[in-house]
Amino acid sequence: MIRAGRAQALLHNVKNRGWAAWALAALFTAFYVALYFTEAFTPIAQALGLGSKWTLYGTLYTIAVTAGGIHVIRKYRHNRYQVIRTLVVIVVQCTFAYSIPLLLKFLHQPEYYFSYFWPLKFEYLTPSYLASVPLPFVLYSVVGSLVLVPLLAAFFGKRWYCSWVCGCGGLANTFGEPWRHLSDKSTTSWKIEKVTIHAVLIASVGLTVLLFFTYGANKSDPQLARFTGEFQSYYGLIVSSILSGVVGVGLYPLGGTRVWCRFACPMAALLGIVQKAGRFRIAVKKDMCISCGMCSKYCEMGIDVRSYAQANESFTRASCVGCGMCAEVCPRGVLNLVQIKRAGQ
Amino acid sequence: MHYVIIGNGVAGITAAFMLRKRDPHAQITVIGGESDYFISRTALMYVLMDRMNRRDLEPFERRKYTENNITLLRAWVTALNASTRTLRFADGASLTYDKLLLATGSAPNPAPWPGVAHTGTGILNFVSLQDLAKWEYHLPATRRVVVVGGGLIGVELVECLRHHGIEVDFLVRESWYWPMALAPEEGEIIANHLRRHGVQLHLGDEIAEVVANPARQLTAVRTTQGRELPCQALGACIGVRPAIDWLRNTQTPPACNRGVQVQADFRTSLPNVWAAGDCAELPTGQVEQLWYSAKRHGELAALSMLGDAVNYTPPLFYNSAKLFDIEYTTVGVGGPESYFRRLPGKDVSIRIMHETDGTVTGFNMLGSRWDHAWFETWIAERRTLPHVLKNLAQAQFDVEFGRVSLKALGVGA
Ligand SMILES: Cc1cc2nc3c(=O)[nH]c(=O)nc-3n(C[C@H](O)[C@H](O)[C@H](O)COP(=O)(O)OP(=O)(O)OC[C@H]3O[C@@H](n4cnc5c(N)ncnc54)[C@H](O)[C@@H]3O)c2cc1C
Ligand code: SF4
Repeated sequence: MIRAGRAQALLHNVKNRGWAAWALAALFTAFYVALYFTEAFTPIAQALGLGSKWTLYGTLYTIAVTAGGIHVIRKYRHNRYQVIRTLVVIVVQCTFAYSIPLLLKFLHQPEYYFSYFWPLKFEYLTPSYLASVPLPFVLYSVVGSLVLVPLLAAFFGKRWYCSWVCGCGGLANTFGEPWRHLSDKSTTSWKIEKVTIHAVLIASVGLTVLLFFTYGANKSDPQLARFTGEFQSYYGLIVSSILSGVVGVGLYPLGGTRVWCRFACPMAALLGIVQKAGRFRIAVKKDMCISCGMCSKYCEMGIDVRSYAQANESFTRASCVGCGMCAEVCPRGVLNLVQIKRAGQ
Repeated sequence: MHYVIIGNGVAGITAAFMLRKRDPHAQITVIGGESDYFISRTALMYVLMDRMNRRDLEPFERRKYTENNITLLRAWVTALNASTRTLRFADGASLTYDKLLLATGSAPNPAPWPGVAHTGTGILNFVSLQDLAKWEYHLPATRRVVVVGGGLIGVELVECLRHHGIEVDFLVRESWYWPMALAPEEGEIIANHLRRHGVQLHLGDEIAEVVANPARQLTAVRTTQGRELPCQALGACIGVRPAIDWLRNTQTPPACNRGVQVQADFRTSLPNVWAAGDCAELPTGQVEQLWYSAKRHGELAALSMLGDAVNYTPPLFYNSAKLFDIEYTTVGVGGPESYFRRLPGKDVSIRIMHETDGTVTGFNMLGSRWDHAWFETWIAERRTLPHVLKNLAQAQFDVEFGRVSLKALGVGA
């Protein structure tokens, strides 16, 4: 750190795991613990006329995405991929993930989030949920989760979802901008990530199958029903609350912005498998890389992009969310996000 | 077999990995004086700008050296005795080799101005990790800096300094920025861009004298045009030269001119000694000072050390750079004529150099991204300007949605 001046020093501290970053991480974590496991925010929400603590949370989330997004658009205004992508993220958050569900609730319809799909939004493909909502919602959820999302990922990579639509990715790429470089780039992390993320995927697929099976068995087997119920509540607690909320955002200032997306999101795991077999690539310009490492540094998924670029290898990694930041920061224009014409190229 | 490599830069390390790939059992030792591990010198500026930290400079994970059983030694080599195949280090230790690769890279040209001898602190280069540390040490108390030398390293340093809000006087000897590579139009685009970033650019001016106070601290720079520029530091970016001073005075010096003279297979005049990278002077008299060429040299020199037949001729010149926000790609050489287009009001331009008969010889592109491989192909195939213009879109490499419109550029018009 070379910069004189308090503001700059504090900024460096916040962005580089200084004491202020630890304090902020503690604050975020405390916020999520209070949100998920207490009713501390309910009175505040009611005083603000927002009804439930979840509406208050949604409001704060939307503000964070919008404000962070405006900052990101200004910062990368010379890069149209970043500008358009960030605009879409903001619009999706403000509509599909915020105002439309509120409107639906107001119209006495199910509070449905059209930007979320199974297995990220786990309950959208559970038998009890599907039985409780009108047919159009059932169709949207089933076709969306099982056909639309994977199909688009096969063509465009998982980025269309993870970096353009998803709220978790949206928050990471807007509000989380100051911390994107903190992801760990070591091959050890890569190995751990492959184990954990697929473990969560197996758990979520397994649980879904189990739920349908139990539902089909129609409570004739109380032992199975009890087991499934317990499995589901543990999954909800560990994956949906602790991993995606508390750990996912709480660790922003320490572990980077995509800890949840990288190590635990079942949707990312599924789309990652599709992406590896699909057409999305990061194209590497031949013999132009100067091994500076900016691409790796600013990869929020901890991909050592430089290791491919300096070896002249165009590549896809299952974890790549196609945020496009490696191409943005590369001072030699070595990288480009592309769709190849035919798979296997 | 003990392969010893002096220099843990890109040439030396690339050679080490290539040797290991082909010879799983040999002993391989890489000696470096500057750092424990190979670092990317090209990214020094990002550390100075606080966008990266030192560890990020390492292009390979440290485990890769142990996995490949490559021994890294931190030491400065001071003497070479080719008859006994022995190296001596600054700390007095010595090491013997079977085959030796000299990959010592570049060192900055010494500051030639009157007054330098009386200046203890404040004149800094920007080439090594040690230079970086000096800048980091000096910056907090620095308000004004003079940077001299209109090459790429100078601009990188200027960008770092402006990033930290430091006032910069940038002295360029020539009458426009970088005439070695750019025509006046592009030079002007760059000059205006630098000025918009708050750089005091002084073209056609050079240092006459440096001024220090009684404590031997630099206080000002006087120029040949009579400017007196007060400053706390002077960034001397007036080029680099092969880092071989120590070799010239050793017991058994290899044949040296500007650099260590090598054959097309990277052998020096000494038996069992090869040279590669910035420190090598090719049979043509060329000294290539580029990252890519050092990498290529390292790979080929290793093959030559392994006994393969190697015959290196420098490829068609290409390079890229970033001048503040302006990306720059160049391929090939100039020609008697050229086709120039600029995007109105933007720092985006293309220049295609060609012979009088239209055969394309080179490209100079500012402000947008291009895949140089296409340019190389067109030049190799001796394509003419109309063909190149017709197919130009193929070579565009801009980000999605951000592709520069060739129509707006006026291509075809
Ligand atoms: C700031 C900067 C920016 C650059 N940007 C670009 C760019 O954008 N594109 C580009 O193509 N090129 C760029 N270059 C040039 C590029 O870095 C060099 O061409 C390249 O590093 C040469 O590699 P090398 O292995 O030959 O030597 P070096 O990288 O110089 O490595 C040689 C190593 O050997 C060590 N050494 C030397 N003598 C001894 C000794 N006696 N004992 C022990 N160790 C010794 C040195 O300490 C050094 O670490 C840049 C250079 C600088 C300084
Ligand atoms: S940012 Fe670009 S030049 Fe730097 S290591 Fe990555 S690909 Fe290579």
